[in-house]
Amino acid sequence: MKAGRTLVVARKEWLEIRRDRLFMALCLLVPMVLMLLFGYGLSLDVEHIPFAVVDHDDTPASRDYSARFSDSRYFDFRGRLADEGAIDRLIAANALRAVLVIPPGFGRDLGAGRAARVQTVIDGTFPVRAMTMRGYVLAINAQASADLALERARAATGADERSLAALAQPVRLETRNLYNQPLRSVWSMAPKLIMVILMIAPPFLTVLGVVREKEGGSIFNIYASTVSKAEFLVGKLLPYVAISLFNALLLFGLARWLFGAPFKGDPLCFALATAMYVACTTGIGLVISVLVRTQTAAMVVVAIVTVVPAALYSGAIIPIESLSPAAAGVAHLLPAMYYAQVATGSFLKGVGWPVLWPNLLVLAAYAALLMTVGYLLFSKRPRA
Amino acid sequence: MNPVLGWRGVLGRGLELVRKELLQLWRDRVLILFLLYVFTVDIYLAGSGLSFSLHNATIAVMDQDMSQASRELASRFQPPQFRRVPAPADPRAAQRQLDTGRSMVVMQIPPRFQADLGAGRPADVQYLVDSSNSVLGLLAGSHAAEIVGRYNLEQSAARLAAAGAGAGLPRVDNAQRALFNPNQNEAWFMGIAELLMLVTVFAIILPAVAAVREKERGTIEQLLVSPLRPLEILLPKVLAMTLVILAGVTLALAVVLRGVFDVPIRGSLPLFYAISALYVFTTSGIGLLLATIARNMAQVGMLAIMVLAPMMFLSGMWTPPEALAPPVRALMAVSPMHYYIDAGFGVLLKGMTLAELAPPLLAMTLLGALAFGAGLARFRRQFS
Repeated sequence: MKAGRTLVVARKEWLEIRRDRLFMALCLLVPMVLMLLFGYGLSLDVEHIPFAVVDHDDTPASRDYSARFSDSRYFDFRGRLADEGAIDRLIAANALRAVLVIPPGFGRDLGAGRAARVQTVIDGTFPVRAMTMRGYVLAINAQASADLALERARAATGADERSLAALAQPVRLETRNLYNQPLRSVWSMAPKLIMVILMIAPPFLTVLGVVREKEGGSIFNIYASTVSKAEFLVGKLLPYVAISLFNALLLFGLARWLFGAPFKGDPLCFALATAMYVACTTGIGLVISVLVRTQTAAMVVVAIVTVVPAALYSGAIIPIESLSPAAAGVAHLLPAMYYAQVATGSFLKGVGWPVLWPNLLVLAAYAALLMTVGYLLFSKRPRA
Repeated sequence: MNPVLGWRGVLGRGLELVRKELLQLWRDRVLILFLLYVFTVDIYLAGSGLSFSLHNATIAVMDQDMSQASRELASRFQPPQFRRVPAPADPRAAQRQLDTGRSMVVMQIPPRFQADLGAGRPADVQYLVDSSNSVLGLLAGSHAAEIVGRYNLEQSAARLAAAGAGAGLPRVDNAQRALFNPNQNEAWFMGIAELLMLVTVFAIILPAVAAVREKERGTIEQLLVSPLRPLEILLPKVLAMTLVILAGVTLALAVVLRGVFDVPIRGSLPLFYAISALYVFTTSGIGLLLATIARNMAQVGMLAIMVLAPMMFLSGMWTPPEALAPPVRALMAVSPMHYYIDAGFGVLLKGMTLAELAPPLLAMTLLGALAFGAGLARFRRQFS
């Protein structure tokens, strides 16, 4: 393998990319646009939930209770409904997402020191939002019950504030949200988006570049030339790796400064892991492009092998521990999970080499494996 | 209309072309296999793999009291939400366990916990949550608040009773009822969402790829020198693709959604088919538009991503309109997919009728007609 010939192949490829202006522009634009859209469009923060109340009790106690919901930043109070009749229709039409129903006798039950029952009807169509809403309702309700108990204890015993607090709330739970203290979903998403986009874009570019030559027939020039397999493959892939690395830098910039995600880890560790991950995903593209013949088929196969694993089996959305054992097994076989841990670790958790070195090792092994497989499968004397 | 052939002749010729297109699609075995794959396996994977709820969240309890009271509290963190993992020995080990992701929550119960409770002093329990996934962080926190809140109520009720302050403490039981998907079955949402997404992807990609392939191979010139008008060339193509996509929808509905996931189809199936046909037909205009811009397959692939990604993220599937910034929400109004999602979920899951769905359907038709008109106009200009 000669460096000179490799560079010539790389230069030829680079010129080809550059002269296809639209392709070149899209190479750089697509990852950025995806990042912006996912970042802004995939907000999992559920706030301003359109909310209404059916208050059959209409006592100070019931009004106090419903005010806890309407005053929170999660719920936007849209008014009171006279009865339950219209709830289903309004939620179906997306006019409301949650309705609190307070039955008669609410205030009386509380006054008598009994449990008062209420119901919250929520839109269950979208389970993520529904789960989050449930979380808010749970938290607000737990606080309301605790406050009621405190008031009751005050009235009953007349003890001083300190012992009252201990009486009504014997265990105080101090919850600390590590790594993402404001619970901002864009902070959670940004590092994982880098992982997802770098999983999809590099193989896509690579297969289009390689298979284009196969489909157009210009690959026969290569078959007939003195360029060796390794020289051709390395030269061919270099420009795509370079573009992907440049994109990685752009994505990092967007995550860091546009979305404001904190970067607390070791930049060198992260950069190295990113380079290896890009080599992995480019390698996936290489293997696919050796196996298929047409650009359509290439795009289709890339879509199948990258999109689903990146989104579902990487811990991007669901943590690996929550996956079924089979799915968790799949996750361990793919590079996405290892890089996702590096990305989250470097951005939010502020961990470095001591924690992440096994991941880097796996990524390096993976990249080497894919490149070797691609090299072995590629033949200058294809059958038929 | 054609003066020689008349209406009937034109229609016959059109049908013959539809037959030709269907035959051509049928002979593209890669495509057929891919369609079979996505409308069954892909939807199955999407539906079965995802779970956004707090499921098996790993919790390590550092019980420094080792008393009956502390064990009682810790034992309330139960599956399916929580899964206990071995406790770290000291705070540094705890930090490391969180850093490496081996546990998501570390709860620390202080020494003298039971003694404090007995003496009526407040006991502070530390609850550290890995919130690098913001949604799960929130859920882990609110579930803990609920569990501890309940524990507190029991404790104070017992204490107050002992102090002779009356029988019970007031509390609110808030029963939550989720409409349309009472058990928060993610498979229902993900399955339907994936189906609606695939319909959109193919409605745009199939016509775009078909038209660009004709351009790349030069067969478009053959069609142009034939006595066919642009509309007569395009309509059969689009019709054939609509039929293929509806066949895929049928497969997905019958085999995966009804067969495997037991999605209750609450509305009218003919209505759903009519809406989908209308949507596919009109949205194909976007694909035609892309085909007039791109010169080769690589470009059309990239352009399709650039168009599809924003459409998906502005569809309201992942992020409800109320959670988006106002300018982004305005963009949502021009995404035809947004209306298709509303109508699709409306019919399938919510059992809405044509009259209830009139506003989104009207908007969808209007936008679709615009897209189709624009695609057709550009195609005409480019080729005649």
